[in-house]
Amino acid sequence: MSEMWVNMGPQHPMTHGLWNLRVLLDGELIRDVDPEVGYLHRGIEKISEDRHYNEVITLMDRCCYVAGLTWEHLYIIASEDALHLEPPERALYLRVMCDEFQRIASHLMWYAAFVQDIGLMTPFLYGMRDRDLILDLFQSFTGARMTYEYLRVGGVRNDLPPGFTDHTRKVLDWLTARFVDYDKLCLGSDIFHKRCDNLGVLKAADCVAHGVTGPMLRSAGLRRDLRKDRPYAVYNQLDFEVALADSADVTGRYVVRMEEMRQAVRILRQVVDWLDHHPGPVMAEQVPRWLGAPYAPVGKEGYLLKRNYPKGVGFSSVEEPHGEAQAYVVNEGGEHPYRVKFRSPVFANISAARQYLVGYRIADIPPIMGSVDVCVGEVDR
Amino acid sequence: MTAPTAQLARPKESAPPSGSLELGTELPMVGEAAVPFLEIETLRAKEFIPAAKEALGSLIAEQGHAKVIRPVFNWAGRNSLFPLHWGLACCAIEFAAAFGARWDAERFGVVPRSSPRQCDVMIVNGTVTWKVAHKLITLYEQMPEPKWVIAMGNCATGGGPFRTAYSVVPGVDKLVPVDVYIAGCPPRPEAMLDGILELEKLIRERKE
Amino acid sequence: MQPDDLTGVLAPKLGVRLKGVEPFPGTAGRVRFEREAALDLFRAVRDDLGFRHLSMVGGIDWVDHREVFYVLWSDDAKQYLVLSTDVPADDPRVETASSVWPSANWHEREAWELVGIVFDHHPDLRHLLTPDGYEFRPLLRSFKLHEPEELEVKARHV
Repeated sequence: MSEMWVNMGPQHPMTHGLWNLRVLLDGELIRDVDPEVGYLHRGIEKISEDRHYNEVITLMDRCCYVAGLTWEHLYIIASEDALHLEPPERALYLRVMCDEFQRIASHLMWYAAFVQDIGLMTPFLYGMRDRDLILDLFQSFTGARMTYEYLRVGGVRNDLPPGFTDHTRKVLDWLTARFVDYDKLCLGSDIFHKRCDNLGVLKAADCVAHGVTGPMLRSAGLRRDLRKDRPYAVYNQLDFEVALADSADVTGRYVVRMEEMRQAVRILRQVVDWLDHHPGPVMAEQVPRWLGAPYAPVGKEGYLLKRNYPKGVGFSSVEEPHGEAQAYVVNEGGEHPYRVKFRSPVFANISAARQYLVGYRIADIPPIMGSVDVCVGEVDR
Repeated sequence: MTAPTAQLARPKESAPPSGSLELGTELPMVGEAAVPFLEIETLRAKEFIPAAKEALGSLIAEQGHAKVIRPVFNWAGRNSLFPLHWGLACCAIEFAAAFGARWDAERFGVVPRSSPRQCDVMIVNGTVTWKVAHKLITLYEQMPEPKWVIAMGNCATGGGPFRTAYSVVPGVDKLVPVDVYIAGCPPRPEAMLDGILELEKLIRERKE
Repeated sequence: MQPDDLTGVLAPKLGVRLKGVEPFPGTAGRVRFEREAALDLFRAVRDDLGFRHLSMVGGIDWVDHREVFYVLWSDDAKQYLVLSTDVPADDPRVETASSVWPSANWHEREAWELVGIVFDHHPDLRHLLTPDGYEFRPLLRSFKLHEPEELEVKARHV
């Protein structure tokens, strides 16, 4: 048989973003793949070098647009390391709350897109409907639906509005009930199993060798979750389980993400209870006003730029909805970071595409790549 | 529990086709009352076709071909805008949310299509980089005439927060002609729908 | 795992090519090494210390020289490890890590195109994020960003 290269992308319903999957086909069989990324390379690492520390947060939201707050958190931990700052406890709980809500929102977005890929149309509406409830909550305390700029170096921007926690509990109850529906729609469907079982298998050893992290890794049965292994913020004070599956295929990734959403609800209930009983400051005291403030004081615009930070390097790592994200912030004493380097989990997950696509059929590509949950913003940065 | 009985508007069966329809050059937009063209639609086909033929024929003879066909064409076009289904960046998520349960953009006749050959509006929903620039132009050229471009969000309008970056096109109007700009980073789904309604107004006034 | 433990394992294998192990926030430590020792160090770190997962490879331009750093993770120790080596700016070469950790492949392609570090024996060193034929190294300090209008004005005067 003659083989041929086929381009799937950059504009293709499978890609969910702007990237190109070059596939070497032998009939319908996939012989080789070559993912081509960079269509959304916006030079975030370079622009950061020209920006004040707080101004980089703006870029973080847009870096991974389905999990903006988690990426803010990632960058904030690294820059607090580099600047030697300590945020108050309430701010840490608020950050965990943001992280977990963002995890649910991101997984719902994935659910909406992925289930549509395998041919079920209604769950798209369900996923977007429930995601909007979470975005409403975000909007009530950050003012935005997607790009929040809520976390600050040394704390968070503002406290929660009154009545927030009660409303949150209602949303959590609603979500808990909906997760049952989702599973009925998918795991209860024979079509789903015929489409997804034993597809895109990537065993744990291959995952580790190729840098694959997140739900893809946990679906292969390896218990690695930075929230447990290397707790940041206040995750060591919260009670939750690591979602696991052992099938290492598309169904396994679905099961892991669903379980992660349930565990996120469990974490959120604890966090919301804690927030109810522990009022306090949300910005560290040793943080000067000009660093916490979103703008310079009137008449002191130059004041903001004259400040010098102590030298240092910050390294942070958080369990993002897609996997393990890392930031490496080098501070050379100026008002801007000297170098910022981010590690995107999806970048590594896509780079291993050859391992989980070769040998399957071309019609299997949409479910497999859907189960990877590609967010091009963070791949290309 | 019984389902609520639907009180749907029935077609007016008794009204005979009048023969001289009030088909002006200005057709009202959806939402406005007393749309003559919509009333024709509710007739049965065997009554409608001769009536419409006669009405259009007399109008064309009276006012000229272009003056009559154009409004009908614009009316049909603006109420079935098919945008290109692609996601560039952050705005694509809000673009998707607009087709979700809460906003339901399809009620405006907006249905995303995956093939540029079936589209008449390209919504540039995100940052355009130089790497994707020629592909964007190819997609635009593949779309059949008449076609429109909506620049959704600050990045497509002028580069947004990335305007200084080495890889970003500072505004998609450097590459293709843009008809409507939507501000916001990203614009809310309401803003996107508003942009589509703005485009409908532009199409309504289209002359050639 | 502490920096001293790392030195105890690595020093006999590398000798003087190991420049030292220093504490690094949030990790087991930072191993500084001569670039000639790269492959020996990678194998020792993976096989003897159990760091089987390579998280990222990055480059930093310090103007007079460039730094290449590697971040690794061990599932047994539940710790990160940073490796770092300095390469001269006029000959920024280092041995590839992709033969030891396949995940280094894309990270090294990115470091090559953005910071200009050449990875010897890399199986597939071509452009990843920037278009083919892009000649600049944007993450070097000498590469300055401009407002688009500024560039237009400059182009008009040329």
